[in-house]
Amino acid sequence: MANIKLELVELRKEFGELIAVDDMSLACEEGETMALLGPSGCGKSTTLNMIVGLEAPTSGDILIDGQSVLQVPPGQRNVGLVFQDYAVFTHMNVRRNLEYGLRVRGMARADIDREVAKVATFLHLEHQLDYKPLELGASELQRVAIGRTLVTNPEILLLDEPLSNLEAEMRNQMRRELRRIQAETGQTIIYVTHDQIEALSLAHRIAVMDFGQLKQYDTAHNVYHYPDNTFVGSFLGNPPMNFVHGQFGHDGNRPVVAQNGSIIPVPAASAGAVSDGADVIVGMRPESMMLAEADDPEAFTASVIAVEPQGPETVLTARIGQSDLKLVVETGTQAHEGAEIAIRPDAELLALFDAASGVRFKA
Amino acid sequence: MGARKFGPGSAIGLAFGLLFAVFPLFWMVSTSFKPSNEWVTTPPVWVSENGTVTNYLVILWPSVLLEQRGGLGQYTEEGEVTAQRATESDAVSGAVADFLTKSAWQSIRGSIIISVLSTMLSIVVGFMAAIAIARYRFGGNVTPFFILSGRMFPPIAIAIPFVVMFSAPGIEATDSYWGLILAYAAVTVPFSTWMLKSFIDELPQEIEEAAMMDGMSRWEAHIKVTVPLIKGGLIATSLFIFILNWSEFLFALVLTYTNVETIPVKLSKYFSATSGQQYGIQAALACVSIVPLVIVGFFIQRHLVRGLTLGAIKR
Repeated sequence: MANIKLELVELRKEFGELIAVDDMSLACEEGETMALLGPSGCGKSTTLNMIVGLEAPTSGDILIDGQSVLQVPPGQRNVGLVFQDYAVFTHMNVRRNLEYGLRVRGMARADIDREVAKVATFLHLEHQLDYKPLELGASELQRVAIGRTLVTNPEILLLDEPLSNLEAEMRNQMRRELRRIQAETGQTIIYVTHDQIEALSLAHRIAVMDFGQLKQYDTAHNVYHYPDNTFVGSFLGNPPMNFVHGQFGHDGNRPVVAQNGSIIPVPAASAGAVSDGADVIVGMRPESMMLAEADDPEAFTASVIAVEPQGPETVLTARIGQSDLKLVVETGTQAHEGAEIAIRPDAELLALFDAASGVRFKA
Repeated sequence: MGARKFGPGSAIGLAFGLLFAVFPLFWMVSTSFKPSNEWVTTPPVWVSENGTVTNYLVILWPSVLLEQRGGLGQYTEEGEVTAQRATESDAVSGAVADFLTKSAWQSIRGSIIISVLSTMLSIVVGFMAAIAIARYRFGGNVTPFFILSGRMFPPIAIAIPFVVMFSAPGIEATDSYWGLILAYAAVTVPFSTWMLKSFIDELPQEIEEAAMMDGMSRWEAHIKVTVPLIKGGLIATSLFIFILNWSEFLFALVLTYTNVETIPVKLSKYFSATSGQQYGIQAALACVSIVPLVIVGFFIQRHLVRGLTLGAIKR
């Protein structure tokens, strides 16, 4: 295991009555990209501000390279923050913006010029150095914002919603750019976003937050495929994970979840120690279900109520009991509105949650 | 985009508005050059044919005037002063002599010192208060409102407590420059705080945070980053506060006696039971008093326009 770069230990921030960050603990390895993902107001920006030192935590600790940095002022933590609205100084040209952090640090002129030239080349800003920020486009501005942070060579690069101000095409381009920066510099990057696609496409690890609580912290793959709770399941994925409420039980030997007479067979492995009669929620990803033969023992039946072709894929909406499910299937699949279909969920990816707490039953 | 047509209707409307706004100014300038017998006449004298700078000499260089006229008596309209009348109106002529021999320089100097220093004080205090409120939510919702409450009653209501406080033994701030400077700063801080707060609110906080990330302390960030970025707003606010202080009358009247005098107080002394109604002299001093503001305004108009278009890029 690589070195732990950043560690949060029961980090907590209260604003009066409001608990913005609720005893959050996690560790981030050197050279890794970590995404803090969650809806607006979940505490991810507050967490970011505490890491860089703009907010003081109520309790808990922040360790960088194993050292507590709580007493270290923001400028000396050796972390760089790229702000959501760029925070580029409009009264200075690009060059002055890029060298600002180095000038404040009192670096020698020749060194400043060298570092700025290096960063400008790296971010393809060589030809924009003498422009004023207002003359630049959004993605150039974003690169200036990243550049003025990168030039100071921070231990950890933090980005606050870096793509939210860009248009779709620019966003893809910038996403590639960020991946390139990560690959070429080996920077440890922490990345705040409310966009799950961004998190999934950029981050090695994702910390999913809601109402100040860390809901799950795992690799991007695991967070997506094995959500710890219904919140994570519903927050990631588009369309999100399907949830069917029901009672756990057995149909003969086979574990099932029943709702209004409809039954969904669930794999024994996912059921773990769930007792019969327990209120549970079955979670199934739209793309982890496939159409099956009617006599498939692992399948359940549902009636199609909507068919929405979206190019190569089609989103089917099917009803089982009182729940609607969305399935992503290949376009051309024989299913039409009103038809009864057999659906076989991927046994590996089906998740069973406790209905009251929303927490996944562990096998 | 086609320019909207500027028809005769708008021209007339504009001319009327302009006339309405500028006429008092015209009358002030015109009166300041009139000899005393044309100040109040029916029909009025619009522009004097016997224009004179006597009024200006009275307020600026009375000694020149006294030399020219060979004494006070000739200036007063009674002509030859008889011994009899001189005795009768001893008090009056004493006062007349006072206002004719004492130039307005003391009040001009007083106005400049007090307005400049109190404006600076008000801006410094107001800026710090505005930062505390805008950036650190100091005092929640109550404090900003409390600061404003100083302006919520007629000035006379706080002028009297000021007199009482300033007269207290050990303080003795009446009739002093610093007393009036403090009083002016106190009553203008609500304005400077609220105006500067609105400019600071316009500026994204991230700009200062970025400076802090680069190693500046909070103070440094606010002084080296916030101040230059709201420069236009600072200048506009300073001018606004300066005008308030420059034209303030009530506090200056009740808090000063003889040592300290400001232009508005001096102006009032040309219209009193003892001095008579010296409209021409009053107008001359009024004309002199607007000169600094016109000059300052001319040089900073660029900033006044830019005062509202500041800050960093927002989405």
